[in-house]
Amino acid sequence: MSMYLKLMNKYRYVSIGLTALFTFHVIADDDRTAEPLKIHGFIAQGIIDVSDSDFVNDDGKFSTELTEIGLNTSYQLSEDFRFAAQAVYLNGGNRYNEGLRVDYFLIDWDAYSSEQWQANLFVGRFKSPHWLHSSTRDIPFERPSIILPQGLYFDGFRDIAVGGDGAALKLTYNNDEFGEFDFNFSRGKSSITNDDAEVILSELAQGDIENELDSQASVYWRPVFSQWRFGLTLLDSEFTYNGETLDFFVDGRFQFQNYTVNAVYEGEKWEFTSEFLQTRFLTEGFYIPQFHQDNLGQGGYFQARYKVDQQLTLIGRYEEFYADKDDRNGYELEKRSYGAVPNYFGFQHDAMLGFSYDFSNNLQVNAEYHWMQGTARLNPIVLPNPTLNKEHWKVWAIQLMYWF
Amino acid sequence: MVSVMLIGSPVTHAIDVITNITADTASITTAQLRRIYSMRQVKWANGVPITVFVLSSNNLIHQKFCKETLRLFPYQLDSIWNKLTFSGMGIAPTPVNNMDELIKAVKSTTGAIGYIENINEVSDVNVLKIDE
Repeated sequence: MSMYLKLMNKYRYVSIGLTALFTFHVIADDDRTAEPLKIHGFIAQGIIDVSDSDFVNDDGKFSTELTEIGLNTSYQLSEDFRFAAQAVYLNGGNRYNEGLRVDYFLIDWDAYSSEQWQANLFVGRFKSPHWLHSSTRDIPFERPSIILPQGLYFDGFRDIAVGGDGAALKLTYNNDEFGEFDFNFSRGKSSITNDDAEVILSELAQGDIENELDSQASVYWRPVFSQWRFGLTLLDSEFTYNGETLDFFVDGRFQFQNYTVNAVYEGEKWEFTSEFLQTRFLTEGFYIPQFHQDNLGQGGYFQARYKVDQQLTLIGRYEEFYADKDDRNGYELEKRSYGAVPNYFGFQHDAMLGFSYDFSNNLQVNAEYHWMQGTARLNPIVLPNPTLNKEHWKVWAIQLMYWF
Repeated sequence: MVSVMLIGSPVTHAIDVITNITADTASITTAQLRRIYSMRQVKWANGVPITVFVLSSNNLIHQKFCKETLRLFPYQLDSIWNKLTFSGMGIAPTPVNNMDELIKAVKSTTGAIGYIENINEVSDVNVLKIDE
């Protein structure tokens, strides 16, 4: 019955989304002058098939749970103040919680503008501007592939990492000798729900998960007229779990401290991207009151894109991720769990090939194939499922997307 | 032989940058133009907000402007603009359908900037001198 209700809800959201998109597209088509009101949106639907893993679903059959719909508005309230909001409907199966979300809802204050400096303060629900794809991870045509590298952009942490309720400061500085600099700083609370807790912590978690204020910062630099851009990001985030009286888990505390560096090269035909992550993951309590684990995970990827012509782009990427840099093969993990958790839950590597084809300026299809080894980035991360998940697994996906 | 070659070649013009007369600037550097089109500078020196008008990314004049004047590839600007539009962190330039609309929009919008292939076809706008 609940399955039936979920299905009905999905179709209701999709049909509301389609009606709204069509209506606003007609309005947006007339928006050819510099009016204060801007309306944009996107819709994407795909097919995904995963073998030997519950990455998307438990039964291993091919799935249409690859839906992303969004509608946003921006309204210039005055010369220095602007309102912006976006609602999205996402369905990625087990990857994250299915449903409608207020993606961002903010006031943008243009605090200072000159030829060299630009300062903006965003207050409300904002999207993380820090990582290369953190603000556009759900924007199908603006990310390089359907499935992002999971070491850095783990879908299970999507609602935690995507943004927060609080404030973000963006400062840009342009220097004719040294180039372009971006400084971003944000402090906010992730809007995670009990449904998110279920996805991340498994259905056995009856309690509430709460995010304390997290702090993030990033710096980007593009040398003068360079095709290279370099970035550095820092994140410090803490979560508490408050267990129920009748609960599989007890009270606990999780802390993430992430450091990433990235480099991007944008040429006429070739585009290269690389990001590296070091993540400290501290767990206290949760399984049993005395539990304490302090891991340093590491990961990174190298990605190349080649533009064959104006329509066709080929992509290849290789990524490695280790949940604990001192236990790269996961043997300690297996030993600690007395064999219950196989060693391959300690890492996850992904070799990917794909392409995207632009039918027009706003209609595109993406397709890709992933060869995966290891299962460190699967939900629910605190309760590995070795029955459904093998060491080697494969994903193929194709997704059609339209935007305006 | 020379005359035959000239007749056989398509007539091409350099791309000029035009602004609304309120922009109050006579020249601009390539670096500053890149800043304006990548939405990193949103006001003129006199404090007037900049409104950027563009043709679609697959328009040949737009592509020529990006590559030759800005020294950027059109996909780089598309990516910057999409990121701003769909993250709520800013607004993208206003797209117009053709050159006539672009000229009309620049003439009638305070602080507007655009580009044009044949400068002889237009009046009542500033034509900016581009310094390296």
